[in-house]
Amino acid sequence: MSAVLALAIKDLRLLGRDWANAFFTFLFPLLLAMFFGWVFSGMYGDEAAGKLEVALVNLDGRPASAAFAKDLTDDEALDVRPAATREEGETMVRKRQVGACVIIPKDFEDNAGSIFAGKTLEIEAVVDPTRSAESGLLTGKLNEIAFRQMQRTFSDPAAMKKSFDSARASLATSEGISGSQRTLLNQMFDSITRTTESFDTGQPGDGAASGMAGWRPIAVKVHKLESTATGPKMPTSSYAVSFPQGVVWGLLGCVMAFAVSIVTERTGGTLLRLTTAPIAKGQILAGKALACFISCLIVQGLLILLAMGPFGVAVPNWGLLLLVVFLTSFGFTGLMMLLAGLSRTEGGAQGLGRAVVLILAMIGGGSIPLFFLSKSVQMLARISPFTWATISIEGVLWRGFSLQDLALPGAVLVCFGVGGYAAGVYAMRWSSAA
Amino acid sequence: MLKLDHLRKSFGSLVAVDDLSLEVVGGEVFGLLGPNGAGKSTTIGMAIGLLKPDQGSVSLDGAGSPADPAVRRKIGVAPQSVALYDDLTAEENLRFFGRLFGLGGSALRDRVLAVLNLVGLEPRRRDRVKGYSGGMKRRLNLAAALIHDPPLLLLDEPTAGVDPQSRNNILELVTGLAKQGRTIVYTTHYMEEAQRLCSRVAIMDKGKILCVGSVDELIASHGGKSVVTIERDGESQRIDTSDPLSEIARVIGDGKQLRGVRIDRPDLESVFLAMTGRSLRD
Repeated sequence: MSAVLALAIKDLRLLGRDWANAFFTFLFPLLLAMFFGWVFSGMYGDEAAGKLEVALVNLDGRPASAAFAKDLTDDEALDVRPAATREEGETMVRKRQVGACVIIPKDFEDNAGSIFAGKTLEIEAVVDPTRSAESGLLTGKLNEIAFRQMQRTFSDPAAMKKSFDSARASLATSEGISGSQRTLLNQMFDSITRTTESFDTGQPGDGAASGMAGWRPIAVKVHKLESTATGPKMPTSSYAVSFPQGVVWGLLGCVMAFAVSIVTERTGGTLLRLTTAPIAKGQILAGKALACFISCLIVQGLLILLAMGPFGVAVPNWGLLLLVVFLTSFGFTGLMMLLAGLSRTEGGAQGLGRAVVLILAMIGGGSIPLFFLSKSVQMLARISPFTWATISIEGVLWRGFSLQDLALPGAVLVCFGVGGYAAGVYAMRWSSAA
Repeated sequence: MLKLDHLRKSFGSLVAVDDLSLEVVGGEVFGLLGPNGAGKSTTIGMAIGLLKPDQGSVSLDGAGSPADPAVRRKIGVAPQSVALYDDLTAEENLRFFGRLFGLGGSALRDRVLAVLNLVGLEPRRRDRVKGYSGGMKRRLNLAAALIHDPPLLLLDEPTAGVDPQSRNNILELVTGLAKQGRTIVYTTHYMEEAQRLCSRVAIMDKGKILCVGSVDELIASHGGKSVVTIERDGESQRIDTSDPLSEIARVIGDGKQLRGVRIDRPDLESVFLAMTGRSLRD
């Protein structure tokens, strides 16, 4: 058995005998992946999840408001929960049971029928200030549904007539409009009335039977981006998101365990025995690197098997996944060598791990999935090898990456591996064994 | 066997070893003594290839410098601090170190058992080292130095911190190894160990060799005189003399009542203190 292999097996055996190290290297990432998978559960592959929860208070209760409320309830992006009063709705927002409260005022019906008389169709929404992005979604939804209300009015000649009659009555008594303006507006109302009376009529409000029913000045079509490679573009389950996070923590455990082990050999005296053996110093480092590499392979393998098994994460391309696992292990072995080279004591290695490696892991997808982070943080995270590992694994698991797509993250990981190893060897001063 | 030729090693402005030359003959037990900071560890480091001398050379058995990994096969080192993996068993430790020296298969298995039997740890071979006593760890430390059957052993204070029984056991082991014809370089602060084990001794201080020779030669040349202590009623008399027996005969002959007589002959400690002084070393 070669000396390098003997060194690697020895280190793996020592890792297995150290329960704390073994837990944080192999078991903790599994627990973390399962925990975050549960935290994010329901966001992916579940139609009920991902909707904006809103409370709805209908202070009017008449047909127009009922139609508006029904449109809100039927909307796929909203999860509407009724509230009897404004206070009840606001309480639901305050208690974070819903993200917003929509209030239909008690004069909604009157305003809906008098929009041409200068009335405004008002809807009120009270939003949770911590969910400002969703308030934008809600505003858009309310505008969309309010426009449908207008569409109903336009599609019902009787409603249109009633609205115009109300407008004419209001116009007749309005003091702020000149005679010529009044004449022009009355002519416009007459013209629209004649136009709508010429349409086929059906049941009032029955958009399908009315000639105006199909009138939609603005039509928005939404298409999902087609994947150019096999595999979905979105995670198939929350565990497809959380397992790359688990891998990040597993790699962190491997890096820390073996970086400290080199320091421990130095301070414990066994490094002296290794350097007096008939092996080159490079072989000693190679043995450490091999042990770390194998550990990285094992921890990623365990996580992937667990993801596939109980948690049903699909692997679209096994070849690419194995390549990513290999490249990731290589990259992080280099990081371990750099850390080991810079550490002179066990305390120093632990401190360097907390100050640098832990932060790199957290911004690299270890704490919050990368795609949840702001653009500026995602840019900063590019200095972290964990980022490239996360991108690679997510890319293969659910982003449908091809080999070309993996070229950049793979190259970065190789650079981390080679550069880290070279820098670590240089940093380790071999002039004395202790 | 081991030749150190005009070695010099500095660490910054500190000259740790200054023009040191030594030759250890095959089959002898050679003691290297000196106070703290004398340069013993630095000398040992250069002898086993850990440290590169600033000047001079080290040659092992005519095969070259221990900086060459192949030459290091001939050396077994038992460092002062126990260099073992606590979470491995004794057997696992020895098998690992044996593999580093190119042993394998049944040869390794047999060698591990032989060495464990030699140091008396075969019954505990499957126990992890962290459960061993200090004496057991020292014996296993020695066993690790022997696993590849080296002709030259460097033992750096192998009995430091152990109880008298373990110490005696280790000394007997070393004596046995010497009788097998191995060459042993032995460093210690215990003068009685060096006096018991070593055929030749070098005393060094401030990076230089102060004297080299057999124990008897050093005592004769540097040990000073014997001290005869005469105890009579109410008084004790100390007499420095190079012929203690004659001095005692003279005292007995004066007819006075004696209560006790003691002869303190010069020993290696006397030589050591004479050569290095009695002041404390920080």
